[in-house]
Amino acid sequence: MSVALTIPMEHGLLLAAILFSIGLLGVMVRRNIIFILMSLEIMLNACAMVFIIAGAHWGQADGQIMFMLILSVAAAEVAVGLGLLLQVFRRFDSLDIDKANRMRG
Amino acid sequence: MTTFLPLLPLMILTGAILVLMMAIAFMRNLALSCGISVIGLLLTLISIIWVNLNLEPSYVTPLLRVDDFGLLFSGIMAVTALFICLLAYSYHQNRGEHQDEFFLLLLLATLGAMVLTISVHFASFVLGLELLGISIYALISYPTKGVFSLEAALKYLILSGISSAFILFGAGLLYAVSGTLSFADFAAGGIPNTGTGQVFVLAGSAMMLAGIGFKLSLVPFHMWTPDVYEGAPAPVAGFLATISKGSVFVALMRFFLAVDGYQYDSIMTGLYWIAGLSMLLGNILALLQSSIKRLLAYSSIAQFGYLMVAFIAISELAGKHLAIEAAVFFLIAYFITTIGAFGVVTIMSDKSEDHDLDSLDAYEGLFWQRPLLAAFMSIMLLSLAGIPLTAGFIGKFYILASGVESQLWPLLVIVVIGSGIGLFYYLRVIYAMTKKAAANTDIEVSAAGGWTMAVVTLVLLVLGVYPGPVIEWVSNMALQLV
Repeated sequence: MSVALTIPMEHGLLLAAILFSIGLLGVMVRRNIIFILMSLEIMLNACAMVFIIAGAHWGQADGQIMFMLILSVAAAEVAVGLGLLLQVFRRFDSLDIDKANRMRG
Repeated sequence: MTTFLPLLPLMILTGAILVLMMAIAFMRNLALSCGISVIGLLLTLISIIWVNLNLEPSYVTPLLRVDDFGLLFSGIMAVTALFICLLAYSYHQNRGEHQDEFFLLLLLATLGAMVLTISVHFASFVLGLELLGISIYALISYPTKGVFSLEAALKYLILSGISSAFILFGAGLLYAVSGTLSFADFAAGGIPNTGTGQVFVLAGSAMMLAGIGFKLSLVPFHMWTPDVYEGAPAPVAGFLATISKGSVFVALMRFFLAVDGYQYDSIMTGLYWIAGLSMLLGNILALLQSSIKRLLAYSSIAQFGYLMVAFIAISELAGKHLAIEAAVFFLIAYFITTIGAFGVVTIMSDKSEDHDLDSLDAYEGLFWQRPLLAAFMSIMLLSLAGIPLTAGFIGKFYILASGVESQLWPLLVIVVIGSGIGLFYYLRVIYAMTKKAAANTDIEVSAAGGWTMAVVTLVLLVLGVYPGPVIEWVSNMALQLV
């Protein structure tokens, strides 16, 4: 109880925003698919953190329930992502996303 | 006490998914899998109608609200998924073994879309969105032989993941200031209008809109659309353009109406630009395409730009009712038309194993080879262009009417310009089909595909010639929402 009261919510949100930015930057800058998936995970964890912080601020369990939802959703997403990654490696012999980029867009 | 009876459609669809999964585990048979999915979707549709006729609109737990609005779109999604199942059957017949799970994933994605249409809480919103999204990743990468489908799935996975993260972060910020996750409680004064609270609200809403813009492929978040549509198998591209986008739009509309996002000027300005740019860029870039799938992708960007005009028009109190009616009717017409257009591409690609037959050249002379198929395609394209006697015309007329009612003059000018450009590239396809060209391939129209297309075309024409009953129904439904 006391921890949630002594740390202002804004600080926690700022930390989450920094994590989110690091993840976003990673997705955009990295070319290796594994690192892109990891960065995606960081972004989703930053979101989960916002819910935890807000839940602690309001003294509700809702935030933690959302955290568990996000956790499972992120796991499912990465599971499919890793499956695709294996296919990409078999097809292109590389995990470089630029090598897999054949279409114009 | 909450009764779970209004959720009967979702339960039936879930039951169908379980039955299908067991059936696949014991016996792999494409006809059986397709049959179970079709029967499951039909039962879902019947139960949706039953729930609509017999039960009052109600909240089922704080997460879901089953009302006419949600049921209407759940029904449309069931019908659309049914059409896609039938079209996908012959498409998958010629594509080797292990095609059964396609239907499983299709039903799962449809379930996610239906949850989205009735969700009034962030928890159910996120669950629906991800159930839809994750099934779609697998659907896009389903053809194991193609290189393009893999690339499309990877692109969609990464961008959809980013957009989900944006939506979640935005929702988290809104939760941080309001202390509630339910849409209705936001509206009941949970949102502060001053000080740092408002900064959080604006940042949160902006992030949510950016994420939803990705899912709806609105400019400037549209970059992934043409590549993903080109790489995805044709039935899945049809699914992406209709059910996936439509359900997110329905959820957005619910959220915005409940929260009254229209009171924030900066958000409305953003939406204004998004709508205008989507219409302009979508139509202009569609001019440059030589692949029908890419053309339809850009056209769907433009169509959602038109839809956003009605969405913005809801902000004016005077035109609110008409604008909701316009958005709903336009979306219905868009669903039918788009599924028809992708249906023709699916039928054309039935025999080509590696890559879908989607280059414009492949369609040359289609009128002389397969007159009926070419006629279906022409009607779909004319409906997208908004030519009278089709549902697309009534939809676009509605958009214009609601824009006039809410006095969105600059956007209306862009609608007119966009429609003009649109007419050009839609007619280009029709022109290519009427050319006298050497017969390139032997196109066979399967019975399931042919009949599905006939039904879709019939519905489109009936809705265009005699829209009265549907309009009346939609109008009553819009009254409930206001």
